[in-house]
Amino acid sequence: MKSKTSLFVAGTMLVNGLLISQLTHAATVEFWTAQTQTDRLQNIELLASTFEALNDGVTVKVVAVDENEMATQMAAAVAAGTTPQLIEVNSEIIMTLGEEGIVDTKTHQGVIKDIGKNRFHKGALTTLTSPSGDYYGLPYHGWIQGIWYRKDWFDEKGLAAPNTWENIETAAKALTDKANNQYGILVGTKQDSYTEQVFTQLALSNNASEFDAKGNLVFNSPATLETIKYYKELAKYNPPGPQNWRARDYYLQGKMGMFFYSTYIMDDLALAEVAKGSLSSENFKELSGGTFDPELVKNTAFAPIITHKSAASYGTLSGLVALKTKSAEDTKATKDFIEFMYDPASYITFLHMAPGGMNPMLKGIAEDPAYLEDPNGVFKLYGADKMKQIVSGFDDIRSFSVVKGKTFPASGAIFAKSVIPRMIYDVTIEGKDPQAALDSAEAEMKAIMGE
Amino acid sequence: MSSVLIKNESRLGLKLVAPAVGIIGLLVIYPILFNIYLSFFDVQLNGTKTFVGMENYTDLLGNPRYFHSIGVSVIYLIGTVVGTTVLGLAAAILMNQEFRFRNLARGLILLPYFAPVISVVFGWQFIFDPVNGIYNHVVVDVLHLTDTRENLIGNPDSALFVVILFDIWKHFPIAYLLFLAKLQSVPKDLYEAAAIDGQNAWGRFWHVTLPELRFVIATVVLLRIIWNLNRFEDVYLLAPNVETLPIFTYYQAFAGIVDQGVAAAISVIQLLVLVGLIWLYVRKVLKW
Repeated sequence: MKSKTSLFVAGTMLVNGLLISQLTHAATVEFWTAQTQTDRLQNIELLASTFEALNDGVTVKVVAVDENEMATQMAAAVAAGTTPQLIEVNSEIIMTLGEEGIVDTKTHQGVIKDIGKNRFHKGALTTLTSPSGDYYGLPYHGWIQGIWYRKDWFDEKGLAAPNTWENIETAAKALTDKANNQYGILVGTKQDSYTEQVFTQLALSNNASEFDAKGNLVFNSPATLETIKYYKELAKYNPPGPQNWRARDYYLQGKMGMFFYSTYIMDDLALAEVAKGSLSSENFKELSGGTFDPELVKNTAFAPIITHKSAASYGTLSGLVALKTKSAEDTKATKDFIEFMYDPASYITFLHMAPGGMNPMLKGIAEDPAYLEDPNGVFKLYGADKMKQIVSGFDDIRSFSVVKGKTFPASGAIFAKSVIPRMIYDVTIEGKDPQAALDSAEAEMKAIMGE
Repeated sequence: MSSVLIKNESRLGLKLVAPAVGIIGLLVIYPILFNIYLSFFDVQLNGTKTFVGMENYTDLLGNPRYFHSIGVSVIYLIGTVVGTTVLGLAAAILMNQEFRFRNLARGLILLPYFAPVISVVFGWQFIFDPVNGIYNHVVVDVLHLTDTRENLIGNPDSALFVVILFDIWKHFPIAYLLFLAKLQSVPKDLYEAAAIDGQNAWGRFWHVTLPELRFVIATVVLLRIIWNLNRFEDVYLLAPNVETLPIFTYYQAFAGIVDQGVAAAISVIQLLVLVGLIWLYVRKVLKW
């Protein structure tokens, strides 16, 4: 008798267990973010936990993947059948992944319908639209690039703001004093994306482009060649050897006159604490003891627009990308999570991780009082008008991949293969002839497009 | 022995080696064959394969950067293999002498080999940083040897030599360890006999130490060639602009979207080169 009872109990428990697990059939959203810094990750984890608390049975797994590794890691995950449900990454990689046929454009369509197409900044949405009108990703945050410079040094030497090719070169030359370890400018000369970003802005201001409106490759042009030669001139006033964005620390040390950088620098410049943290963490060990110049914000000015043949502002954006999954529950949960991430409360929490660096892609957010109250007080320092002006740039963002409202995803593949950074490296560091470097870059671009 | 017994024995033998053959087949032979198969295709991320024949190979062999990277690899191999062997041998002979604190010194020599690559790479980068590094500080500001700051790691002319120097420094302890172990087993009377025959220190090294060490040296050289032909992390972390063969492979096939077909073609060629090199070395140099 006793054994029968226990058997019955065990049986009931088993059935109940099965039932419960059926009811709470877990949907999973594996979310790969390009935000690898610990404090940002903690913030995203917090958002994920909030979403989990609001949605029973959904698990959000946040994974940090370095932006430069994202495409490679995705390839490995897809090959292994462990594709994440959602990723956050820059537009070039989004366009490349879109062309690989692994993106869930239906979910994107649904989200845009729910939120309202008109609420997105137009240029931002266009950047992520495929030639056939599908959305390869959803714009989430973006930055604008420009030249940040020592206003006090410029005034002292009577230099004009670095907003034209002539002004930039003159100032770079005047501020360089290599014998005293002083450098005029920082342009990227390593084979990485920073180099491409700097080059793109200069090229756009010279009306050079990768594609014409019909999609023909027109990179090998006199305008591009002229830009490369100009770039080589500027690189003379760089700190020695190949450099990338990390060398911005030389500016914070007072050893450099100006540097190309995104609005991400705003909080670094604004707060001595932030800058100190940035200096001592992953960058240069011996800088940790360096003293921070509290006057640096006051003495720094920003030139976002560079003019030569035309005025060019340059920026890029990151988006959320839902990937194709086999499970309908996962797809539904992913869509819900994306919409949760666009909810003003969570959206602003996310953007505040890098005030100035991460700018909203939905209209209205930048004017939201909650948005202007960032925890570090950065926006107060720069003022609401300046913020609005920066964000409005995303209605008219320029890049190599968008020509007259049409998007050419091949540009993303070219970006992913670092063709332009390697060309610049060859010219500035290896001393290769600009035309020869341009010819081989063009050949590589053709090879990539032919694939 | 009866024929039945022999048959049974060989059957048992087959059963005994079967698991090993199976594992090697699954983990080594199958990937190699699949790799060769892939090298004839253009592979998309979603698994779609398009047959392209020899195109991956012709593209590769038509790329001047490929041959440049082979040249860089050869210099890198010669520099590092000779460097680690000579330095390892010198250290081993030194550490085989009696002196105070010998055990401490023997331990300290191993440190570079034990330290994690990433931390020592960053250490080297800090040392050679063009603006803040101690190297430029000493050479330019303290000793006034020159007034131009050099980026020795970044500059392509010097980067290869910094990378070779780094590898020698990091890996000579393993050579040293193997040499020292063998040196300790060389009988003392051989040296005494040589001394009686009138050999000086150099003669004893040449006629006793070297012949005794011959096979260990050969093994060290062989291991170093295999390791360094495939070495990626040290070079890539320290100076990614030094394009040895593995770095070239990485840029060509794995940077950005993985080009699995091209990657497969490169690794097939690299496998052939490695097998060929080892065969040549074992047969012609070692005469095993």
